[in-house]
Amino acid sequence: MNDQQSGNAAPVVNLEKLAIKLDDSIRVLEESRSFAKLGKLPPVFDLVRRILQQPEGCAIVEAQAERLENAGVFAGTDWAEPAILLPSLTTYALQSKNTDTVVIEALSELRLLAVARSTYSHPSVSAEQAHHYLTQVLAINLGLLFGMTGEAEREQGKLALISQHVVQYVAQHIGYEHVIDSLIEEIWRILQQRPIQVAGVRKMITQIAICRAEPDADLGSAGRGADRLISSLYGPTRGCSEDPGTVVYQQRLESMDSQTLQNEATGFARSMHDTGLVSPYHASFVRYILEGQDNLLSEALGLSSTGRDCLMCYRELVYTLITEGIFPETAQGLYGLALLLERGILYQPPVAPALWRQARLNLCPQARERLQLAYGYQPQAGAWLIQGVLNILGQPLGVGQGNNPTCQSARALSMWAYNDPDYLLQMVAWAARDNEIVMHFEGQPVSSAQSLGGVASEVTFDLDPVSLVVVPHLDRIYGEMGRLCIGREGDPHRWVNPEFHGWSAGRGFAINVDVATGNLDDLEGFIRHFYASYHPYYNGNQPLIHPQPAGIAVTDRAARFIGWHAITILRVALDPEGEMRVYFYNPNNDSGQSWGDDVHVGTEGCGERFGEASLPLEQFASRLYIFHYDPLERGEPADVGEEELQRVMERVYRSWGENRLPAQDLQAEPPQAE
Amino acid sequence: MSEQEYNPEKGYVALLGWSLNAVEAADKFDRRYVVVAPDWAEAYCKEHDIPYVPWNFERLNDRSVEIAQTLKDMGVDVSIPLFEETVEWAGAINSVLMDKPRLFGQAMLLRDKALMKRRAQLGGIRVGIFEEAHDKGDVIRFLKRVNQTLLKLDGDPNDPIHLKAFDKAGCLGHRVIRTPDEVDSIPDEEFPVLMESHLDGWEFAVEAWIHNGKIAFLNISEYVTLGYSVFVPATPDLEKYRDQIRGEIEKLIKTFDIDFGFIHPEYFVTSDSTMYFGEVAYRPPGFKVFELLEKAYGFNAYQGLILAFDPKTTQEEIKAFFPKEVEDAKGYAGCFGVYPRRRVVSKLEIPEETENHEYFESHELTPPVEETVTKRTAFGTHWGLVYFFGEDPYVMRDLLKHQEDLDFYV
Repeated sequence: MNDQQSGNAAPVVNLEKLAIKLDDSIRVLEESRSFAKLGKLPPVFDLVRRILQQPEGCAIVEAQAERLENAGVFAGTDWAEPAILLPSLTTYALQSKNTDTVVIEALSELRLLAVARSTYSHPSVSAEQAHHYLTQVLAINLGLLFGMTGEAEREQGKLALISQHVVQYVAQHIGYEHVIDSLIEEIWRILQQRPIQVAGVRKMITQIAICRAEPDADLGSAGRGADRLISSLYGPTRGCSEDPGTVVYQQRLESMDSQTLQNEATGFARSMHDTGLVSPYHASFVRYILEGQDNLLSEALGLSSTGRDCLMCYRELVYTLITEGIFPETAQGLYGLALLLERGILYQPPVAPALWRQARLNLCPQARERLQLAYGYQPQAGAWLIQGVLNILGQPLGVGQGNNPTCQSARALSMWAYNDPDYLLQMVAWAARDNEIVMHFEGQPVSSAQSLGGVASEVTFDLDPVSLVVVPHLDRIYGEMGRLCIGREGDPHRWVNPEFHGWSAGRGFAINVDVATGNLDDLEGFIRHFYASYHPYYNGNQPLIHPQPAGIAVTDRAARFIGWHAITILRVALDPEGEMRVYFYNPNNDSGQSWGDDVHVGTEGCGERFGEASLPLEQFASRLYIFHYDPLERGEPADVGEEELQRVMERVYRSWGENRLPAQDLQAEPPQAE
Repeated sequence: MSEQEYNPEKGYVALLGWSLNAVEAADKFDRRYVVVAPDWAEAYCKEHDIPYVPWNFERLNDRSVEIAQTLKDMGVDVSIPLFEETVEWAGAINSVLMDKPRLFGQAMLLRDKALMKRRAQLGGIRVGIFEEAHDKGDVIRFLKRVNQTLLKLDGDPNDPIHLKAFDKAGCLGHRVIRTPDEVDSIPDEEFPVLMESHLDGWEFAVEAWIHNGKIAFLNISEYVTLGYSVFVPATPDLEKYRDQIRGEIEKLIKTFDIDFGFIHPEYFVTSDSTMYFGEVAYRPPGFKVFELLEKAYGFNAYQGLILAFDPKTTQEEIKAFFPKEVEDAKGYAGCFGVYPRRRVVSKLEIPEETENHEYFESHELTPPVEETVTKRTAFGTHWGLVYFFGEDPYVMRDLLKHQEDLDFYV
């Protein structure tokens, strides 16, 4: 291979011997005391690197994956908790110039492959989760998969071999076509929830487009289903179908007659409402027609009579928002604008003036800097924030918490956008202009500027513009309110939730866990009460009026407890099949999840609106641990059927409640099986 | 976390100095232990629940008895030095713990290279020519005298002499001087030093565990190039001297009156099979020889150390613990100390032929922190070790030698 080598030719690598050495080094690590493990890691890493540089090396490492993890190779790193790993970060790790970073990432991928193939039963990740994660990893690293190497790989030198070997090995065992097809399915599933943050989806679609354009990449018949996705970003109309670039498109617009422009407008609108994605060409088009062809705007936004009516009433405002906030980079704001108009919220007296303020808002340096760090300098930060405001008001259930433990803040933003839009706009103004939000906790002012710190040590940048600016403040206030509750008996959410979310959150509070012991506490009474408050059959057929904060015990696919999570109950109603369902908002970025024991959270097909998650009421109740209610509106707890109650309770015992039975319950109720 | 389960019937040992490998070995062994180390080790010990007593090992002074008393009150039976700097502390502490004042004098002897040579001479052990130097003038005089003795004429290339600090471990401060000009390069603060004539011969080291005044295990470490590489066990070429070497070590034990513990002497064997004593240390050797021994034989040398020091160790335990020398070795384990060969380096790159060699085990080299490599004056400190393991001692020897011609930093 290398003629410059001295006469002493490099010996052929003996993979079997390396495998034995790896075995030894793992044993040393296993037998090591925890305080001395760090020193035993470098030989293991080095051997893994040498093995993975060989084309057949991946199988050897995969076979040792379980031992490697148990021996502690991931201890103390993010990789120790595979459930929190983000597929989008793998690209950086696999292209890193740091050997250890590449090796540990490769190790983690191979470990998850072992999990996905069910040769390794992992305590915190199921085979399906691992499979799902790896599919995304492959999707994001399609370049590596098809050997399309670039500057990053050249810089890496021999390390790039490892990344390629691993990605290709994973693909071989997950299936190439399967990868792209399931990726497309995945993209549609996510888009169906209409998230505000679509950067990740855009990236995946772009990758598929690149791969399809690559003559050397043999995809077979896979990826044909991606047409609509790719065109929605890169060529939704006849005028831009071959992705000519916005400059050329701009010139074409100038020579189009009115019929052609009309066609373009409908083409854009159809594509946008089809996928929820907005093409940059769409933004160019809208800015163009605003000067002299504005009669096409309603068409270009795809508005119904409600939206059109709203547009007519607030024409000046809408034009200003477009001029200030919609550019090819922020095109996504058009979708928010269209839905905002359809919601009719501009008719609420304070909303239009608040949006006028928003259009001209002076940003404080801190907010400006965060927006610039996340989105760049073009267009300016104010425009990104307008885009964010349009999206959050148009898609209140599309807010996600990103990779942050700030579900409460995301939930609050979503709740206000849904229910109290002018209050949300007030929050945005305070945070973006004044860099301070003041809320009141039982009459006492709580300032985000003077708080000691929030729940999250640092709020990341993978957020929509509004969250990016407001969440750091909300999180600190939330943390501060929690501190003000220190010393009170019971769960602090009892006091914090209503004060934090607003007057419409019920002052009544029910919890089924004893805070001191973590054991279940009056489960039956809790469920009866929930049914009486929320189930139309037991509460006098009263639909839920205001969205209510609630807490759920999240479980994984194997129904094992993962953690407590904040959600919003939006409505309780019969689904198309006639089953009573709870429709709720989950601030985590993807609501479609399996919680084990046949509890699959639906996001479409059961009467969900965009962004809603849903479960049959019985299943929902089995994961609920906190809810709020109006103490003055009592339903009929006694009417709840005994059988239904039992089923819910059994579901609790089978999942997160398994180890939470108080001692006397254990005696009173021997295990069902016996 | 310390997970130790110790045997209360056996001794309680104190490890003097901080060595993670030693601590781990102790933690996995059945003797109760405590680490005596400077206070910078405290946080780590606390975090991991490692038994610990803080002590700063500076020069012995009137406060030194405090640590001995502390350990005595704790019920410690013996202290074990892990580094050259803690050898005299171990002597002082053990003389209190065991009520044997002689141990302190013995430790002082083992700490001073000039004193130890004289003692060896008195015991009838052959040593080279040596002298103490207090300034540069002494060095030049010694260099001339040695070469006169060798019947060299003016203009003949000189035989070199070796300069060593009195009380430092191994190669630290070790210089080779050939011409009077080179004497100028020695900083004044290095004096006084010990000067030795150069012996043309084969230098090797011995590790001997001693119990009840008898050798419990004797290893011969073969140096391929001094300061660069070592491997265990030695080649048959060197092992054929084993009986003779054993005799020399027994002489050493007798001369220094060593009853228990561990010694690490260095010798020269000349072409006529004469052994010359170089020096001896009463602590584990550098260059990770303990780790090499574990790789080659499978026993933990630190645990052997604890056994050899513990006064409650029985002969049966010793017999059961140590393997049969050479015969029981599973292979040959060696390591090579890397020094950058270029003046300017930018990155670490393990040569492909090294990495792909079937004997190659692992390395502990780290990427360079600075681009310019400081010129080596004395036998300096290497940048990290590369480990090898294989079945053939001669392949091992040649492989280690060959590494000297390769660039690990480019």
